Amino acid sequence: MVVVQTEDFNSAELTADLRERTAKHAGALVTFTGYVRDYAGEKETHTLFLEHYPGMCEREIGDICQQAQSRWNTAEPVVVHRVGEMHNGEQIVFVGVASAHRGDAFRACEFIIDALKTRAPFWKRETLANGEQFWVQQRESDARKTQEWETKQAS
Amino acid sequence: MENGTVINVLYFAQVAELTGTRLENWPLNEPITGEQWLNALEQKYPQLAPTRRLKLAVNQFHVKPSAVINPGDEVAVFEPVTGG
Repeated sequence: MVVVQTEDFNSAELTADLRERTAKHAGALVTFTGYVRDYAGEKETHTLFLEHYPGMCEREIGDICQQAQSRWNTAEPVVVHRVGEMHNGEQIVFVGVASAHRGDAFRACEFIIDALKTRAPFWKRETLANGEQFWVQQRESDARKTQEWETKQAS
Repeated sequence: MENGTVINVLYFAQVAELTGTRLENWPLNEPITGEQWLNALEQKYPQLAPTRRLKLAVNQFHVKPSAVINPGDEVAVFEPVTGG
């Protein structure tokens, strides 16, 4: 399930739904929630704005989930990603993965959030407490992690 | 202008701010590589330079600069993505 929305989400409900859907065969359920930090570098932030490419964004996340599902034998993952304006401490993204075994669930969940950061067409703009605005640059460490997944064996 | 003689260009985030537009019909009569098109983009919007840092999607799929853009395609241009 892939959802891109402006509204906040209930991560407990998303987790419970995934558990209900997979309870018969999943021995492990791993979730990741990303939140808005209250700092950027050394500066205090005010709000975070997220823009996306509608259509491509949902499809790209769907492709990432399918890759994870086939590589680690998981149930259909859940990804909910917010767009628009968000305040410090608010939830940005939820990833939930259920699998027979914990190793697959951990790895698939990490793969999905890593791939999201370098493949899904979202762009973040920070507004600092002093009013200054800037678009966030992609981290080299994120790009490197995605490359590592491509070369890593599915173990 | 007939549909076959243009590409629909979408600009996102900081690229849209620099071009001052989010959507543009760009005349294109013959296939062109992404790299050639990025050079033309840089001529039209020098403020985007250097455009080789920018990423392209054609018909909503990421492509390399060597990919071919055909008349009628939807082409998106943007900075490296920063979701998650």
